[in-house]
Amino acid sequence: MKVYDGSSGTSTESQQERLKVGIAEYEVTTSGANLTTSGLGSCLGIAMYDEAAGVAGLVHVMLPSADEVDDTNEAKFADTGIELLVSEMERAGASTRHIEAKVAGGSDMLDFSQNGSGIGVRNVEQVEETLDSLNIPIVSQDVGGDHGRSLKLDGNSGDLTVKSANKGSQII
Amino acid sequence: MQVDIQSLETFNQLAYEGAEQATAMMAQMTGIDAAVDVTKITLMDRADVGEELAGQPFVGIQFGMEGVLNGDTTLVFEERCRDPIVEALPGGSSDGDMAESSVKEIGNIMMSGFIDGWADYLETTIEHSPPEYIEATGADVLPSADGVGSEQVFVFKSHIDWPGEDLNFYIYMLPEYTEMAEVMAANADTQSDAIPVDKLSVFNQMTREGTQKAAENVTAMTGIETDAEVTQISFAPIEDVPKQVDSKSYVGTVVEFDGTPSGYLSILFDETSAMNVAEALMPMEPDGEGFTSMHESAIEEMGNIMTSGFVDGWANVLQTSVEHTPPEVVHDMGQAIMDPLAAQVGQHQTHAFIIESRMQTDDLDFSCEIHALPDDAELKQALDDLEIERKDETEADVEKIF
Repeated sequence: MKVYDGSSGTSTESQQERLKVGIAEYEVTTSGANLTTSGLGSCLGIAMYDEAAGVAGLVHVMLPSADEVDDTNEAKFADTGIELLVSEMERAGASTRHIEAKVAGGSDMLDFSQNGSGIGVRNVEQVEETLDSLNIPIVSQDVGGDHGRSLKLDGNSGDLTVKSANKGSQII
Repeated sequence: MQVDIQSLETFNQLAYEGAEQATAMMAQMTGIDAAVDVTKITLMDRADVGEELAGQPFVGIQFGMEGVLNGDTTLVFEERCRDPIVEALPGGSSDGDMAESSVKEIGNIMMSGFIDGWADYLETTIEHSPPEYIEATGADVLPSADGVGSEQVFVFKSHIDWPGEDLNFYIYMLPEYTEMAEVMAANADTQSDAIPVDKLSVFNQMTREGTQKAAENVTAMTGIETDAEVTQISFAPIEDVPKQVDSKSYVGTVVEFDGTPSGYLSILFDETSAMNVAEALMPMEPDGEGFTSMHESAIEEMGNIMTSGFVDGWANVLQTSVEHTPPEVVHDMGQAIMDPLAAQVGQHQTHAFIIESRMQTDDLDFSCEIHALPDDAELKQALDDLEIERKDETEADVEKIF
């Protein structure tokens, strides 16, 4: 098993395919690719991994619920984005009984208080609710705070590397 | 002439699908799996088009368009893309003339995909001329802007990236302004949310004045001579808004403004510029290493005075009142600073207008970006209320503020 340690680029590492996940996008890999996404502020990255099936997926959501805005892009919202990623992972051979989730992002770096609870907080709440309804456990998370994050999901191991501009990086 | 928001969304989607189609054609021919990153419609000075390409070598394939849309489309590859793309083409060779004809061939097929999408939607034909191959640095890869410098044009720009190789290419479509505006107006479904398109360019001029005054103010406070550079108004899906800013670290301020229009405004310095501008403001040497709390308060002060100039400039021209919150200092990845702002606006709308300005200086490492995200219904209201003659008042009024 290859483990990405975030600092040394071994030759095996550099050969690993990298798929970039933009805002309101998702990717699924069955070939152990690295799935990356950058610049999460109040947005959330939800990484899912089914070790038994060797399927990993990452979605970068922006807003809590598709009910709030008339938009057809399911990957933009926490609720529909998770459902979409789970169904795409199932198509690739994963099973919800084995999928585990890791969540990072949802910071509240900017306080525009007249709008009630920050979007970061509401995103995290929605993700917890939707994953709970699908019986998918959150095995680790790095959410909230007041800093941005970039993520790298190793499709071979399910390790999620969380990097921030000012606080270094960690694997969760 | 009126252009409604729905038709801007439609045309943005058309440009996006065209870019997707062009990318799919390339994948089919070469196996290169690139992805369309951003597509936006921008209204800006013709002379500023391609400013973001400055200093880099490119290979361009230019096409003239004729039909309901006249103008030019250019496929722009980073020069270092050329060889890997040509070599990925079956039978392709990166040697001299062969490389040129291979790039032309790929360009031709990609462009057919791009332009056919437009023609299908508009239910008409758009002819394109044979491809012309150009190697040039910066904006010279695009058709020359000689003689049309201060004219405002619509630019449809797509950024496509090839993640495995860290290579980028771009599609610039530059239709003739009047025809494009007519096509957009003809495709408007309703008049209810129509934007007076002529006034968008007036708005650009106002923003330029405001930026200029903010730049003068930076000079007055710090002695740093700055130039206001590009000022443009773009329209893009809300999820593309954070991508307008690089993912590297920035320091700056963010405010929420409230009035007609309301929205969010960020003033961002790259880290080196932030250090330089903060130290130019400080009466004494800072205590400690790196970016200290003294730097932070200097940036806060700078952000406040620049924001006031910018926002009050609009308010005076629009003869409305626009208030803003005290600035919050941010120091983080550029995209992470922008995404909460985009998310706030995204609660009410799927697309957004982005007002962008940049200022910089040659003497010292200093550059600053201003991004404003107005609420689109309120921006429309502000534009409806705007009497075109009033734009001249910006100068005097902004001077009064300082």
